[in-house]
Amino acid sequence: MHLQTEVLIIGGGATGAGIARDLALRGIPSLLVEKGDFTSGASGRNQGLLHSGARYAVNDPEAARECITENRILRRIAPHCIEASDGLFVSLPEDGPEYRANFIRACGAAGIDTLPLSPNEALSMEPKLNPLIIGAVQVPDGAIDPFTLVVENARDAESRGARFFLHTEVIALILDGVRIAGARVKDRITGEEFSISASWVINAAGAWVNQILGLAGLKIGIALSKGSMLITNTRLSERVINRCRPPASGDIIVPNDTVSILGTTSLREEDLEHYEVTPEEVSFLVDELSRMIPAVRGERFTRAYAGVRPLVQSAETCDDRTISRGFTLIDHESCDGLAGLVTITGGKLMTYRLMAERTADLICKKMGLHVPCLTHVQRLPGAGLSHALKDRLIRLRRHTPAARGEILCDCELVPREVVDAILREAKVRELQDILHRTRLAKGTCQGGFCVYRLLGVLNEMRKAEGLGGSNRILKAFLEERWKGIRPVLWGISLKEEELIESIYKGLFNLTPEEPGPPEGDES
Amino acid sequence: MRRYDLIVIGMGLAGLTAARTAVEMGAKILIVGRGMGSLTLFGNTIDLLGEITPGTDMEAGVMSWTATHPDHPYARTGWAGIAEALVAFREFFPPPYTFAPVGGGNSLVPTGAGTVRPTYLLPVTMTAGVGISSEDTLIVSFRGFKDFQGDTVSLHLRCRGVNLSLPRYGLEGVTALAFARLMDEEPFRESLGEAIRRQLAGERRIGLPAVLGLRNPAGVMATLEAVTGAKVFEIPMLPPSIPGARIFRRLREELIAKGATFLMGNPVIGATLKNGRCEGITVQNPPLKTVYSADCYVLATGRFLGGGLWADMERVSEPLFHIPVSQPATRGEWFRERFFQPEAHPIHRAGIVTDAALRPVDEGGKVVLENLWAAGSILAHHQAIEEKSREGIDIATGFLAAKRALAP
Repeated sequence: MHLQTEVLIIGGGATGAGIARDLALRGIPSLLVEKGDFTSGASGRNQGLLHSGARYAVNDPEAARECITENRILRRIAPHCIEASDGLFVSLPEDGPEYRANFIRACGAAGIDTLPLSPNEALSMEPKLNPLIIGAVQVPDGAIDPFTLVVENARDAESRGARFFLHTEVIALILDGVRIAGARVKDRITGEEFSISASWVINAAGAWVNQILGLAGLKIGIALSKGSMLITNTRLSERVINRCRPPASGDIIVPNDTVSILGTTSLREEDLEHYEVTPEEVSFLVDELSRMIPAVRGERFTRAYAGVRPLVQSAETCDDRTISRGFTLIDHESCDGLAGLVTITGGKLMTYRLMAERTADLICKKMGLHVPCLTHVQRLPGAGLSHALKDRLIRLRRHTPAARGEILCDCELVPREVVDAILREAKVRELQDILHRTRLAKGTCQGGFCVYRLLGVLNEMRKAEGLGGSNRILKAFLEERWKGIRPVLWGISLKEEELIESIYKGLFNLTPEEPGPPEGDES
Repeated sequence: MRRYDLIVIGMGLAGLTAARTAVEMGAKILIVGRGMGSLTLFGNTIDLLGEITPGTDMEAGVMSWTATHPDHPYARTGWAGIAEALVAFREFFPPPYTFAPVGGGNSLVPTGAGTVRPTYLLPVTMTAGVGISSEDTLIVSFRGFKDFQGDTVSLHLRCRGVNLSLPRYGLEGVTALAFARLMDEEPFRESLGEAIRRQLAGERRIGLPAVLGLRNPAGVMATLEAVTGAKVFEIPMLPPSIPGARIFRRLREELIAKGATFLMGNPVIGATLKNGRCEGITVQNPPLKTVYSADCYVLATGRFLGGGLWADMERVSEPLFHIPVSQPATRGEWFRERFFQPEAHPIHRAGIVTDAALRPVDEGGKVVLENLWAAGSILAHHQAIEEKSREGIDIATGFLAAKRALAP
């Protein structure tokens, strides 16, 4: 197979999908390859915070201004991906009033609205806050659903002619003299290899940016920083709760739908494929965040996860937090004499659209085109549809029990028809693709019950064998689930774990032996 | 305040076995439990020790195994203790709903994931599932009954499967318990049997989810076999477990009939300890708190799921008597890197260490409370899930704990 496109985009995170949409809106054809599913990297492994920019106001006014501008744009173009909950920056006695005063001034300078609150006002708005707080400031923070955001960008781009190849990895760059002219890629599921020729290649591989550049003998200075987060079983606050002090580890609680996400840590990471949340990080987050909301200590956690941020390296810094969260756009023709290749990296989810705009601007300039960017005004296709719990329940209520059909997931009320629709529409390549596109396995039991049922549906439709056989998929799922829950197993979570082990290892007798050939070949 | 000979804390299979054993010995007993125990979640068959090769002698197998596992609860009871307890259990289930081994030792029964698992005693409703072959078996599942995925079972076992609609409107989303109660109704199971019969294409065995009635499972099986002309067997599935609920119901009826005091749904919130003895336990029955006393006590509160053990972020404790729990040194050592391991995660081997008579002891081997015995999964140094020994440990130690507690 040989494919041809104008622009080849490497990486299906927010940046890559954003570039595909930006180019599509300017009428430039593109093709995107991603080695996993959408948002497999940092785009899908963050706190889901819609920054107001307040967090950066004191230390990095430029980043703060970028954030608040993008915050306003995203509220307009992607309201269905956003929960506009607002945020509080709370000061504990040890944080002192000076930083708070500074903070309010800096927010004002960056154009971020603030509303100072007395301790009593803050406590009446958020009763679970530590009663010892000395004050709070309200800012326009919120929550954002990165997966929906990215899928929506991709869907819009696809409807305008962009093409997407998921589970497809770049294995070589095609060199034509001193110009990159495309890439050789491999389908990670079928193993099939093919070539894609392109006039321009954009490296938007996030933390994997140097893996791509290495294929051309290049390298840029980035630091990889692991951030770990915990998900609670219930929602702890109405608003985002930030600590009003210089940015540090363990200072944000982001409410998202029915849960809260606690974050985050910042540790250097070398190995991009194998990293985990350590018991020490978990203990640190619980200790630190229970200072803001004491109930954190007794809370049940459903999962821990970590993401690796690519931070653009500036000279002589060691603490990753002082490295700018700003992004870097590199034209390798002017930097390295290698034409046809552009790298975009660093940045943050909040600035994905701006990063895409700048990248597309550069490509247009190199093409000699003068087409304006439209992504800041053109709304995403699903704008107006809500995925919030309230709206899910309303949709569910419209059906009679019989018409509603089977509820596969009792924790998150996912009807079977949702899965049927995904299997019909999307190009599902593996189990996780289904889980990413639904709320299956995201609730309290983390898929302990619903994945068995989901596999039954796949077997009924004779689709499990194509995905490797249902008990092999089940075991792989349980291993993946384990990574998320192992760090938070104590208290009630440990009860749930005993239940799940009793079912799968006990009752169903699934064992660690390497699985044989897919079912059907077994004797 | 009433005084008892023995108070059993916990209503899983271990506690129920201890209570029944004590009642048989003529003791005046109280059994108290917060819920129905893991019996009603996973208790389908009676596991003893899964690694003993099917068809080989259990006695020899268990005896040579305990020789290399000297800390295991089976090493406390010995084979004689296991055998005596199992005889008592089996005698308690006379025909038609009996428990028996198939082929002498362990046998392999099909499960709801389409795997097979080794087990020892099977209820009569499961025996036809042993040794099925592709051609002779039909797996029947039901649309909307989501905890038994028939296509998963039939594809793995390489049998034919059918997915039937339930013969009455509105049954989509039916629970296992409601399904089992419907099965207890003769007209329902007759029409179901008729629907299954029409699907048969020469198969001589029919596998169904384990919901063949609560009251009279052997009767449900007999009806289905008469209508279809084929052998019928139940397949264990996701919790709750109807076969486990049958065991629970039978034991509860027996205990109440024999005059035991049966307090279900009431948590035990405290124990009065004095001079190395337990003087009484406090049971919460809102708004009342009642103290009950006995000469001796059996602790059979299970593990984390049952509430017998509790883990905070630092360590594992036994929340009622605060007796020592054998456990890994730090939280970092509780679990291994991968979910599936040849051995249990270390925390699952944590538990209460006892002397030969099942009395909890401290790190120095000294008895903690003179009149307290422990039974069931709360005991340390087993890995019931991997070993397939859950019910065997419950029955053998529940039996022994009551015998020792009431020994003259």
